[in-house]
Amino acid sequence: MKIDIKLPACEGHGLCAQTAPGVYELDDEGYVRLVVDEITPDLEAAAEAGARVCPVAALAVRR
Amino acid sequence: MSETTTATPSTDADLFAPEVVADPFPTLTALREQAPAVYSTKYDFYVLTRYEDVRATAGDWESFTSSKGVGLTEQFNKQLVGSVLATDPPEHDALREVLSDKLAPRGLAQIRQQISDYATSLVAECVAKGTFDGVVDIARVFPINVVGDLVGLPMEGREKMHPGADATFSGFGPFVPYVMEHLPQLQDYQAWMGTMADRSKLTPGGWGEAIMDAVDDGRLTQLGAIRTVSAYLTAGMDTTVNAIAALMRLFADRPDVWNALKADPKLAAPIFEEILRLESPVVGFWRVATKDVEFGEVTVPEGSKVLLHWAAANRDPQKYPNPDTFDIGRNPLDHVAFGYGVHACAGQGLARMEAVTLLEAFAAQIDTIELAGEPIRGRNPIVRGYESVPLRVTPRRDA
Repeated sequence: MKIDIKLPACEGHGLCAQTAPGVYELDDEGYVRLVVDEITPDLEAAAEAGARVCPVAALAVRR
Repeated sequence: MSETTTATPSTDADLFAPEVVADPFPTLTALREQAPAVYSTKYDFYVLTRYEDVRATAGDWESFTSSKGVGLTEQFNKQLVGSVLATDPPEHDALREVLSDKLAPRGLAQIRQQISDYATSLVAECVAKGTFDGVVDIARVFPINVVGDLVGLPMEGREKMHPGADATFSGFGPFVPYVMEHLPQLQDYQAWMGTMADRSKLTPGGWGEAIMDAVDDGRLTQLGAIRTVSAYLTAGMDTTVNAIAALMRLFADRPDVWNALKADPKLAAPIFEEILRLESPVVGFWRVATKDVEFGEVTVPEGSKVLLHWAAANRDPQKYPNPDTFDIGRNPLDHVAFGYGVHACAGQGLARMEAVTLLEAFAAQIDTIELAGEPIRGRNPIVRGYESVPLRVTPRRDA
């Protein structure tokens, strides 16, 4: 699984990091970044849930 | 009707009639069960009521444009032309960027303390009174002054903001009697806002000044500036006002929810998300289909107006079990009360901050909260809310 981040769309609402802190965090400037290098199978459900709650559609899951 | 052709599912229900506005959910449930998209014979639009359809449509700005206006009528949409609400990318993104640094949570972090202090003093005044109106004394005061201060507006004229925003919102729908009755408030508000695109009126460092900067360096026209100020002011009023009003009512009706918040103020955030899902202060906005689009067995033809019904989507039982019940454990972060996608509410971070700081102030200062009279629902056809929620509170003894 890969996460596509549309950084220009990110406004830093942080719902992804709140939902899936093991996958997403906000950087020092308040934009999303991944906490891990790779979405391992045990992280897939969290990664999907975190992408799902992005209110501005900045995150997409690709299999 | 021929047996070989599939008729377009249609309804003659009037979603904006006073009795439906007062309690829209039985009608919305029937529409949701009837078909994924149902044509309104009275108003000539298709309404989407199922969560997945509403969300997908909001996310698909290429097939469902905002550029023809997100209200129903031609007259109203003319007023929105070129505003952040009624443009598509890339034009839209440039307009949204004018304030995104300030509206994004990273920008808001710097003002959290100021908003929290204001919440604390406003709640203290109400606690001292003991009996007050949750709408008149809190819901219609707090967001207006928060946004007024952030924009840098003078105190004089702020009394026009809530009535004006309420009237403006009602105009997104058909011109029912409510809209016509509130035209004076709308005109008053617009005239006042027209005078605010003027640096001498605005406090330095506020959002109003940031918008004027964008005019000076050519990112916005003067008319664009007025429409941008207007869009943000209007959007920041009636929505938050009514979400807060709904919270006041909730606490009086549901002591279990109130006691849970009092014991753990961190529940403020999930409580706010759940009331947004349940109440959906803005019931919906329109788009125009740029091509034929299929929703299950229904084809919505190119050029059709389509109502994305946030309130219906947020009570879709396929998405949220027992949708009519407030569930403190639900934390429905993917609700569509703020819309979704490129046009998702730009002020949602501020709305969350306002609600959370206010609920924290409630939890810190109030022990018990109950109704002191019968709440009165608002009649606005587009914004669900309250005219009055009379409350009686007792102070926390340890506060």
